Amino acid sequence: MAAIEMVNLTKHYKQGKNVIKALDGVNLKIDTGEFVAVVGRSGSGKTTMLDLLGLLLRPTAGTVIIDGVDTSKLKDGDRATMRGESIGFIFQEFNLLPTLNALENVMLPLRYTKKDPQGEARAKRLLTEVDLADRLTHKPAELSGGQSQRVAIARSLVNNPALVLGDEPTGEVDNETSDQLLDLMRRMNREHGVTFVIVTHDMDIAQRADRIIRLKDGKVASDEPIGAREGAELAG
Amino acid sequence: MFEIIRNLTRRKLRNGLTVSGIVIGVLALTTLGAIAEKANYSIDGGVRYFRDHVSVGAAQNGGFGGGLLTVDKAKDIQAVDGVQAACAATGVSAKTDLDFSLSFGPGDQVTAEQPGCQQYSTFKLTYAKGHAIDETGTGQVVLGSDIAKEFKVNTGDTIALPRPPKKYNPDYVGHDFTVVGILDKTLTAPDNFAIVSFKDGQTLFGDALPAALRGRVDPTTLATGINVYAKAGVDLDKLAQKINDTVPGVSAIAPSTLVNAFKSASVFLTAITTGAALLALVVGGLSVVNTMLMAVTERVREIGLKKAVGAHTYHVLREFLTEATILGVVGGLVGLGLGWGLALGINAYFASQNQNELFLVTSRLVTFALAFSIGLGMIAGVVPAVRASRLDPVTALRYQ
Ligand SMILES: Nc1ncnc2c1ncn2[C@@H]1O[C@H](COP(=O)(O)OP(=O)(O)OP(=O)(O)O)[C@@H](O)[C@H]1O
Ligand SMILES: [Mg+2]
Repeated sequence: MAAIEMVNLTKHYKQGKNVIKALDGVNLKIDTGEFVAVVGRSGSGKTTMLDLLGLLLRPTAGTVIIDGVDTSKLKDGDRATMRGESIGFIFQEFNLLPTLNALENVMLPLRYTKKDPQGEARAKRLLTEVDLADRLTHKPAELSGGQSQRVAIARSLVNNPALVLGDEPTGEVDNETSDQLLDLMRRMNREHGVTFVIVTHDMDIAQRADRIIRLKDGKVASDEPIGAREGAELAG
Repeated sequence: MFEIIRNLTRRKLRNGLTVSGIVIGVLALTTLGAIAEKANYSIDGGVRYFRDHVSVGAAQNGGFGGGLLTVDKAKDIQAVDGVQAACAATGVSAKTDLDFSLSFGPGDQVTAEQPGCQQYSTFKLTYAKGHAIDETGTGQVVLGSDIAKEFKVNTGDTIALPRPPKKYNPDYVGHDFTVVGILDKTLTAPDNFAIVSFKDGQTLFGDALPAALRGRVDPTTLATGINVYAKAGVDLDKLAQKINDTVPGVSAIAPSTLVNAFKSASVFLTAITTGAALLALVVGGLSVVNTMLMAVTERVREIGLKKAVGAHTYHVLREFLTEATILGVVGGLVGLGLGWGLALGINAYFASQNQNELFLVTSRLVTFALAFSIGLGMIAGVVPAVRASRLDPVTALRYQ
């Protein structure tokens, strides 16, 4: 079953007389529980695609269908609600609020969705799952990069989303930490059955996904399951 | 909510400045407002006091003896249609030195009215201590609350009236009185009155006349004014006109003339308060707007994040508005506290110097100042909050 469907997904930016085709007629289906890596050169449209999937941007043409809902027909408020209820975000720069401690940061999305009496317990459990049970009251300034991103991963899952989007989630940490973060995301993907779509420049990271989508000039250049692509061409 | 307060405490310096802006505004509003309130109270009292009767004095163009009124004029006035009672009265300054204290009333006066006239006045005097003077006797005085405080006397004490001059003055003649009562505070003229019997009043008036006149007139025929009380339903202004028309040698002042004078003073004071309020609005409002706008710029990414994780426009709007309102409340409370403290302090100082109190912090002033600062915080927070809430999540998240 396709959890997410991109239909002719297009985003154009006008710049003076030129039109930049950041994303140009992308058709893709991503199944529930898949772990997808999006790769491609700088400017190829990765971030644009992720922002469209996350309902942070409106497409110029085409649509994103999430769990059967055609999101192009939704009003801004309903898109916000859908973001809160169905989508989790992990950012390269963590984006934790400096005034909140780890637990409060994880609980932030709960503030904007339906009251959930289990929310706090779930946030604590998630922090335990990301191995930060002893850091609940630490402020972001008191956490390492890897720890911060683990807080962000816990935050992305606190609302039981169907989909988690990560734009270079390992971009700010060293290789070893980056590996550990990927372990964690794969485990969450397995244990919670959540679909993950992450953008990465790091081919070692991309290798560990179920599937790699390569973008070039706003179009899908290749889309292959990982088993079929062992070999040399990965580095390109 | 906790996050909001933490956000505020994190940016201590800037929020401190903003709160100071509101504090200064509310401080100005509270203190100036308290002066106006005090004045308004005195004016209200004055209006009530002067609405009570028609004051009649000697005609100003009276040639020889101009300014001197005789008691028998009261009988002529009594005969005018609509008059219930015409009471001869005397009033002399209680002090022989010039007095520059801040006061909206006529100043310290030793007053007296013919016996039996108090019953006609609708402005009822009540006693904090002791009792009324024996109106037909001599040597007794009832003091208004301010004058009692000023001269530091209590019931049973003896006091010389008028007060002896600081420098020797050969013209000065004083008389000793026993204080038999002290009035409740009225917030108007009677607070500065020393009330004596009419007989004593005439004696004091006679002694206060210029030395050249003293021997030539009999003080027991003299009065400084006549208080005319009207029958029920009679218009006092028309009555004053009728007295002027029918009784020669006197000048009746229409109460509305006096009342209007008070009213225009009141309008002036209200203008001062309004000015202060506007000043506070500008100072406090601008500082809140500034802080909130800076907060928006500084926290664009935070707003972007919140929108990404599901915050609606109204969530962001609400958070920023709450923040601005808290600034308004804190600034308002501190400003009010300081202003109130200042007013009480200065009042206490004035009281210790035997001066009239300058400030009156009323509950409506407190309510207004608080409502004002909270409203200010909210209104000043609206524009930045709207700006913040409208930010597009992508632009906001990528903001450097
Ligand atoms: N707001 C915008 N206005 C104009 N052009 C834009 C805007 N956002 C992106 N673009 C352009 O769209 C194209 C795709 O950008 P995008 O950010 O999706 O690339 P990317 O693959 O994420 O690159 P990188 O690896 O450097 O992050 C680029 O050419 C970029 O300049
Ligand atoms: Mg990018």
